[in-house]
Amino acid sequence: MVDITLSVNGVPREGSPEARKTLADFLRDDLDLTGTHLGCEHGVCGACTVIVDGRAVRSCLMLAVQAAGSEVTTIEGLAPDGGLGPLQQAMWDSHSFQCGFCTPGMVMQAAAFLSGHPDADESQIREALSGNICRCTGYQSIIDGVLLAAKRNRER
Amino acid sequence: MAAIAAERYTGASIKRSEDPRILTGAGRYVDDIKLPGMLHAAFVRSPVAHARVLSVDVSAARTLPGVVAVFTGAELEEMTVPGPDALMALMGWAGPTPEFTLLATDKVRFSGDPVAVVVAESRYLAEDGCELVEVEYEELPPVTNASFALDPGSPPLFANLGDNIARLHSRHEFGDVSATFADADRVTDFRIDVHRHQNMPMEGRGCVASYDTDSGAMTVYAATQSVHVSKIAVAMRLGMGQDKVRVLAGDIGGSFGLKIGASREELAVAAASRALGQPVKWVEDRGENLTTSGQAREESFDVRAAVSDDGDLLGLDVKTVIDTGSYPGMGAMVPDIIEAMFPGPYKIAALGFESTAVTTNKACYVAYRGPWASETFVRERILDLIAKDLGLDPLEIRLRNVAPRTDPPAVMITGRPLVGVTTRESLERIAQLVDFPAFRCRQAEARAQGRYLGIGVATFIEAAPGPREPEGSSGPMGNESMRLRLEEDGIVVLFTGQMPHGQSHQTTLAQIAADEFGVPFEQVRVVVGDTDVVPFGLTGGSRSATMTGGVALHGARQLKAKVVDVASHLMEASASDLEIADGQVFVRGDPASAIGVGEVARRAASGQFGDGLDAQLEVEAVFDGGEGGWSGGSHCAIVEVDAETGVVTVERYVIAEDCGALINPSVVEGQIRGGVAQGIGAVLLERSAYDEDGNCQSATLMDYLVPTACDIPRIEIEHLETVPLDADVNFRGVGEGGMIVAPPTVVNAIEDALSPFGVRIYEQHLSPARILELVAAADPGQ
Repeated sequence: MVDITLSVNGVPREGSPEARKTLADFLRDDLDLTGTHLGCEHGVCGACTVIVDGRAVRSCLMLAVQAAGSEVTTIEGLAPDGGLGPLQQAMWDSHSFQCGFCTPGMVMQAAAFLSGHPDADESQIREALSGNICRCTGYQSIIDGVLLAAKRNRER
Repeated sequence: MAAIAAERYTGASIKRSEDPRILTGAGRYVDDIKLPGMLHAAFVRSPVAHARVLSVDVSAARTLPGVVAVFTGAELEEMTVPGPDALMALMGWAGPTPEFTLLATDKVRFSGDPVAVVVAESRYLAEDGCELVEVEYEELPPVTNASFALDPGSPPLFANLGDNIARLHSRHEFGDVSATFADADRVTDFRIDVHRHQNMPMEGRGCVASYDTDSGAMTVYAATQSVHVSKIAVAMRLGMGQDKVRVLAGDIGGSFGLKIGASREELAVAAASRALGQPVKWVEDRGENLTTSGQAREESFDVRAAVSDDGDLLGLDVKTVIDTGSYPGMGAMVPDIIEAMFPGPYKIAALGFESTAVTTNKACYVAYRGPWASETFVRERILDLIAKDLGLDPLEIRLRNVAPRTDPPAVMITGRPLVGVTTRESLERIAQLVDFPAFRCRQAEARAQGRYLGIGVATFIEAAPGPREPEGSSGPMGNESMRLRLEEDGIVVLFTGQMPHGQSHQTTLAQIAADEFGVPFEQVRVVVGDTDVVPFGLTGGSRSATMTGGVALHGARQLKAKVVDVASHLMEASASDLEIADGQVFVRGDPASAIGVGEVARRAASGQFGDGLDAQLEVEAVFDGGEGGWSGGSHCAIVEVDAETGVVTVERYVIAEDCGALINPSVVEGQIRGGVAQGIGAVLLERSAYDEDGNCQSATLMDYLVPTACDIPRIEIEHLETVPLDADVNFRGVGEGGMIVAPPTVVNAIEDALSPFGVRIYEQHLSPARILELVAAADPGQ
């Protein structure tokens, strides 16, 4: 067991995970933040994407101990009060998702990308989300949601 | 109140009530369940495809700190009851019935077959325990393809069958097959293969089983398309009364046919929980999902087509062999549906249909979105091949052969009336939406520059639910039940056996009930996923739009009548003068008389009306599908094939479809696009591959490739005006159609693109490497 402290969704947290425990399992099992989903556990599907120190990270490929001292944001912390942030609202308005399993990773990936690329066009958004698999939607509704969020952000 | 207006939700893209929870991480999927004292299971799996199990040594695993128990196949057999696959038994399967155990005992039958289960304090420790289990195998010759399985000398997978036949050979004839072929101008032979691919939902299988030793009751938290089918399977295999088993389900991360009932692993986990008296969780990892959860298709078709020189498809004679993999599943039953659907919307006068299914040392054949879809693939493929032989345009040959809409309707040679089918309209609409002559010019210009563009069209119909048979005593899809109740807070609660896993039932059923009953959308709650409170049901076969939408409509109507009856006593008005809108009951023309429906419920519950009035504001509704009807449509793809690399790009995809009256257009379009994406994936990317020894070669998402946001184009959808058949319920299923018709649409486009090379395509999976092979082997003279 390794003692670690880190910030999760703006709250200081501590824990003693095994060295081999992934960040995803630590978030889900130790901190009960089950919004982060595991879709492949080998870094391909993107469902477990969280934001670590401002960058989108696959929490299945990162060990919890590697996140010691970091600031981690998960889907539960994307909007301040547990409501919907602007990206989530745009995705609701766009009927972006169906089963919802890829959703947390897709939203976190899109949030990290939009923060650095507020003027992204459709092909850039598709490229940025191409490491996140959705099996339900054919992606169009998700892309539309991200485009809508970007548009609203620019108009604000 | 100012105004009482009946809002219409049905037909509008109402935002999903599921979304706030899934967008904030508040969904509750099976892996999110955490119970006090919960243990974790992991399975020891066979590394070989076919072998005798000589010994299983679990002693080292049992002593590992953190491991609570290890159960071998033999031990689990003692703890459970033998029996057939529960779903096949429910569906009345009467063919060859293999005898098998939940975990392998005497032999393993595919690479990944579970041999033992380790239960530990964490998943990590359970997997550590698996590493310590020593299994000695004596390998047997693997049966890895259908032709070997058909050889009587192939080693039988199941001793009680004695061979590898999972469905006895049968031949049925519809119409006069021999005369049709004898009189035809031309008879052409085709051999067409559909490859093995699979559901790959983002969430794999999993469950938490929690046995309460004191009460002898089992609670299973499942990821399933039907909590009741799961319950029946658990009760059967654990030898428990059904009243002692409760199955619950929350959010489910997709399925596409995979998660019907309880798998062998889930049943083993339930047995382990009972033995230990503690909750046990198992959630498969992606490797298990890809190699062991189940796979679909892998069907071959030898087809003879009787054709006139003018391009009339007069008759078909089809021989199919289904490779069902190892353990029993959907594969042995699917030929019946393929046969029934083979004529499609066409006026084919004769059909001969032969089928056999075989067992092989591969993962089990499971249902996958439109399990019978190969009939559409084969039919739409050979129509293009015939059109090429005759110099006909793909649209022209289809329009020529589509059965006309007549009264009485034309009847498929296999028996079902083609009532209300709009195939012709959808093809004609495609021709308007896509400028074919302009495309042909562009195609010619591109070819001159060494670029290969192609256009493909395909069409389908789906019995979702299918037409009511003229002489039929029941509806097209059996009955669907729903319990509806008006609560004292004015909420209308719908209890449905549907188990949504992406289909948005909590939104769409609420839309229908809100309109029919007369409450705001937010005042309807849809309860799913608890065998203690929901009626029997199953989400599958694209049944929910008609069947569950219909029972929601009729049930809300019945509940409304009861509420109006009670209100008429309260308000001292004639029931016929009362209306309900916006959650208020009022005397027609007198908005000031309005009282809330919740108030009616409270007064009804007070008992003030005595015995003379039925004040129980609850109904058990049943719907038989009404007049039913067909779903269908035509799709068109424009692709570019890079003849140097074999890479195919889908440039444009256009759909003209008819799923009856739309409940929620955004939900409908999401279903169609998702299905098309899976169909594009099936053709260009996805293949569940095995080597000659029966090792699964597609065990990761770097080997089993699914489409990404860069692979799927914007999909243009137009909804056709439908032919209403029923007085009330004209919603039709749309879950499977995209997946059914996208593969032939894309393959037809690829063949068109490669026509300068003379390429003819007789298969469904067209990876870049395969495209290059086809180009290299083609005869440009064709």
